[in-house]
Amino acid sequence: MSDFIVGIVSFLFTIMILSYLIGDNVLFRLAVHIFVGASAGYVAAVAIHQVIWPYLFVPLFEGSMLERGLTMIPLIFFVLMLMKMSPRLSSLGGPAVGYLVGAGAAVAISGAVLGTILPQVDAAAQPFDWLQNPNPLGTLFNGIVMLIGTVATLIYFQFGARRADDGSVKRNVIIEALAWVGRLFVALTLGVLFAGVFSAALTALIERIYSLLALFGF
Amino acid sequence: MKGKLVATVIAISVGLFILVGTLLPFPILVPMRLELLRWAVIISSAAVMVGIANLISVHFQKVRRREKNSIYSAVLILSMSFTLALGVVFGPNGEWTQALFEGIIFPVEASLMALLAVTLIYASVRLLRRRADLMSIVFVVTAALTIFASISLPFFGEIPLLGDVIGPWLTSTLAAGGARGLLLGVALGALTTGLRALFAFDRPFGGK
Repeated sequence: MSDFIVGIVSFLFTIMILSYLIGDNVLFRLAVHIFVGASAGYVAAVAIHQVIWPYLFVPLFEGSMLERGLTMIPLIFFVLMLMKMSPRLSSLGGPAVGYLVGAGAAVAISGAVLGTILPQVDAAAQPFDWLQNPNPLGTLFNGIVMLIGTVATLIYFQFGARRADDGSVKRNVIIEALAWVGRLFVALTLGVLFAGVFSAALTALIERIYSLLALFGF
Repeated sequence: MKGKLVATVIAISVGLFILVGTLLPFPILVPMRLELLRWAVIISSAAVMVGIANLISVHFQKVRRREKNSIYSAVLILSMSFTLALGVVFGPNGEWTQALFEGIIFPVEASLMALLAVTLIYASVRLLRRRADLMSIVFVVTAALTIFASISLPFFGEIPLLGDVIGPWLTSTLAAGGARGLLLGVALGALTTGLRALFAFDRPFGGK
């Protein structure tokens, strides 16, 4: 019975959202506002149940003296962050925001270096490892094309230029040519990404239509 | 002024401790880094609460002033309060909360994604109408080739040459090269931004 009610509600919300295809309307806006409210409420409930209660209150009430002492530090920052709710006390929240900025910067730096730059540089060098490849020429050709694409794409986003004698600002001719190739690679990459997003969206559309039909036993 | 200095000192010291704990292989630094990150998660949850309080405050003001379309704000506050109450009482994995998730949140997310399929087709047609230059044509042709390379036609199956040669080469060589360039660019940007924040050149928590 509850599955049936959930199915009906799900059906109604699907119709309300898909009604946007005929233009912006009351049903669509209503569904979106309910969705934003429900999502925010759900996120708050997850934060309370999975972070605030087990990491903050349980050690404070049930932990050892050391745990209680250690938990006092995040508790102070937690309270300072909550000060941001009040315009008058907002400035007291600075240290808590500072903590998050410091931690976020450190995670971003280590993530960029260890998670992206080093693995991507390593992957770009793989096709040039002759001993590892069963088809060295084909892999080498693909590796060179990929390397040109990578370097040209990075150059496309390089906007350093010099002022010419006539006062105009221009990039070096070679850089300009490589940037054009980079632009081509960016267009190709975005085309493939577009196709991926389109396929995912189409799958979602088919799933929604299927769920509507399934509710009525088709 | 003192508060900003304290925030800067906290940002730099916490950032350096976590960074050193991640990059240097000393066993003593690992638990310290994990504890600092756990505290960051706790403080982030307070930031979530501040964000939600701000959302409620903005929409409550709209309802109070009886602005145009404030009925939507009232609906938003009601749905948020109802979901929060359900989530706090029964837990995010409780039966009623999950029913609400499956009845509202999931279908709306999936339907918005489904709408994207239609809007993407519309946007690509508009792109060719408004700006039919070489890059737009390369973009649309690549997208079309990738889609046709991944589908299987009735009676024919996979499209010959496109499905087994051109499609894979397009995605795993040409696009991979460009994607790697974009990824490296984003990572270098994140690295620079992180270093600027860590050494207090940028201070999002206040100060110059």
